[in-house]
Amino acid sequence: MSVLWQQKTHGVLKRQEKMQRLLARLLLGVVITTTVLAGIYLTVAASSVHTARRLWEMENQMAAVMRDNQGLMAEIARLSSIPVLQERSVALGYQPAKSIDYLYVGEP
Amino acid sequence: MLHGPDARLRLITVLLIAALLPILGQLVRLQVLEHSQYQSEAEALVSRQYSLPEAPWGVIMDRNGDLLVGNVPVYNVGAEINLITDTVMAASVLAPLLNRSEEELLATITLTESTQTIEWRPLTNRVPAETAQKLLDLKWTWITLSPTWERYYAEGAMACHTLGFVNARGMGYGVQAFQLRFLRGDSMQRVGPVSGDTSPLPDELMGGSLTPYPGTDLRLTIDRTIQAFVEGVLDQAMVDYKAAGGTILVMNPRTGEILAVASRPNYEPHRYPEYMENGQEAIFRDPAVSVPYEPGSVFKVITVAAAYDSGRVDANWTYNDLGKLEYGGASIRNSDGAAYGQQRLQGILDYSLNVGAATLSTQVLGADLFYKYVRAFGFGQTTGIELTGEASGIVHLPTDWDWTDSHLATNSFGQGIAVTPLQMAMAISAVANDGVMMQPRIVMERQYSDGRIVPIPAHELGRPISAEAARVVAEMMARSVDKVAKAAQVPGYRVAGKSGTAQIPTTGGYDPQQVIVSYAGFGPVPNPQVIVLVNLERPDVPANMRWGMHIAAPVFQKVMSRVLILMGVPPSDLRAGQ
Repeated sequence: MSVLWQQKTHGVLKRQEKMQRLLARLLLGVVITTTVLAGIYLTVAASSVHTARRLWEMENQMAAVMRDNQGLMAEIARLSSIPVLQERSVALGYQPAKSIDYLYVGEP
Repeated sequence: MLHGPDARLRLITVLLIAALLPILGQLVRLQVLEHSQYQSEAEALVSRQYSLPEAPWGVIMDRNGDLLVGNVPVYNVGAEINLITDTVMAASVLAPLLNRSEEELLATITLTESTQTIEWRPLTNRVPAETAQKLLDLKWTWITLSPTWERYYAEGAMACHTLGFVNARGMGYGVQAFQLRFLRGDSMQRVGPVSGDTSPLPDELMGGSLTPYPGTDLRLTIDRTIQAFVEGVLDQAMVDYKAAGGTILVMNPRTGEILAVASRPNYEPHRYPEYMENGQEAIFRDPAVSVPYEPGSVFKVITVAAAYDSGRVDANWTYNDLGKLEYGGASIRNSDGAAYGQQRLQGILDYSLNVGAATLSTQVLGADLFYKYVRAFGFGQTTGIELTGEASGIVHLPTDWDWTDSHLATNSFGQGIAVTPLQMAMAISAVANDGVMMQPRIVMERQYSDGRIVPIPAHELGRPISAEAARVVAEMMARSVDKVAKAAQVPGYRVAGKSGTAQIPTTGGYDPQQVIVSYAGFGPVPNPQVIVLVNLERPDVPANMRWGMHIAAPVFQKVMSRVLILMGVPPSDLRAGQ
């Protein structure tokens, strides 16, 4: 009887195969888990960087809008300043009241 | 020994594990044992100062929300000159845009030595947004634009002393300098980890907003319409009377709110560097709060109020006016040198009798009581208004080394005592407001960038005289206007007031020619809503016209008659009809 036959008949080969299969599965599991974790980490990191970049851009947009807003406020103030209003009023034919009549309205 | 696949497999496994062990060991060392050390080293490597968009300063509005001081975006322009391919062409294009000569610009952007690193040079500062857009349209990547802000004064020089300015070092004048800690926005630079293009790294961005908070907005008590009118009247008065300077102050005696304050000479706040280059810093001082003057006869109101409030005299008290009074080595005379005979308190105000005022201070009140009232009315001390450079004035007290008996006599009619226009208006406000003197206010509320609004409440400064004394003196002042001050009368309204003509002190005496004319009053009577104080310095008119009653009273009348309408105060007869 050959050694191989003896191993087969005594179950030695079967145990070895089982052990190897287990080891292979374990290694495969470790590799898959590591890959998944690395993938998740990279995704999160990339997403974080992307979000930060977007945030930075939006912060800059906000600053630009703030600049536009302040500029427009100044422009409105210029257009409604006293000299401009006076000039416009005169052009429209307004003039200071010569006499003012007051009407007393009693409280109900 | 290594026969068969099993043995070789075992050997490979052992070798792999052996190879992994040092890596694991290093990981433990780096990530666990020496973690903090490497972390600090890494932070030091990437942590740099990075620029944030500069926050705008808080704006300043009038009491109705109209903008007085705002911000306009401007840009500082620079160039990374080692990236320029054609400097001659670049200089010719940029010169008209940046308002610089072509030769000068060419010298700036020409690289003298070749370098591997980026060499940046500033080209010009504070170009407007339109120019910045034109520069962007050129699509030259070597041009850098850094946004910043410039203060914008919507009404030009209007209320310049009140609004003031602040220079790059944080020094300045007016309410802006006083309220700088509120107005100034967040810092424009921070320190944190940055990327290659000097923008913050994710951790920094995730930590919170990097947009700086704008400064706090201020709503002032100033009414833009009243202010503009007052400025116009003051300008006209300066021309009509050829005055060297002047101040008009309008305030609400009930709340202490300053509705308008205009002074001449004035300046345009945004051009302050030009004034400084020309050595004209003196123009920045606000005459209303920083420059004391001798008030003259307007001060008689204080003397009469003090005498009445002390209880030592009543409205029927009389004295014999001989036209002259000798006291403490000083010879006191009435302005016209005449004797007025038997006079009451009313006569002192009607005819502005120096002898009568001096009689009250020297023979009725005495030094202790007189100066107690002078201090109670706020003279010789600052009012605490939110403006920089407020002067306390000059009041010589009996405890001072340089005080003489003559001070007691001359101070009673506003000579030998220096007050600011604001102090004088405050003292008169106590008479108008039933004896209560309110803290003068220029800031009505603060509006924070997070939406909070903090109103600044009215605050009582003191009660120098009783309500009864205030009402009696106010009535005397009103009768004085009814009787003798035609120039100050306001059609439709009953007003109270007092004129003043003060000599200007010089070294060793008084200027024989120059005077400061003034008029202070309030209306309507009863229930005054507004105080107007007019000061005109060194009017160049004939000597017989150089009196407060001739010059300042008509200006007071002009201001008061319009301000009462602008404030919506109905005429006295209509109010009586109620």
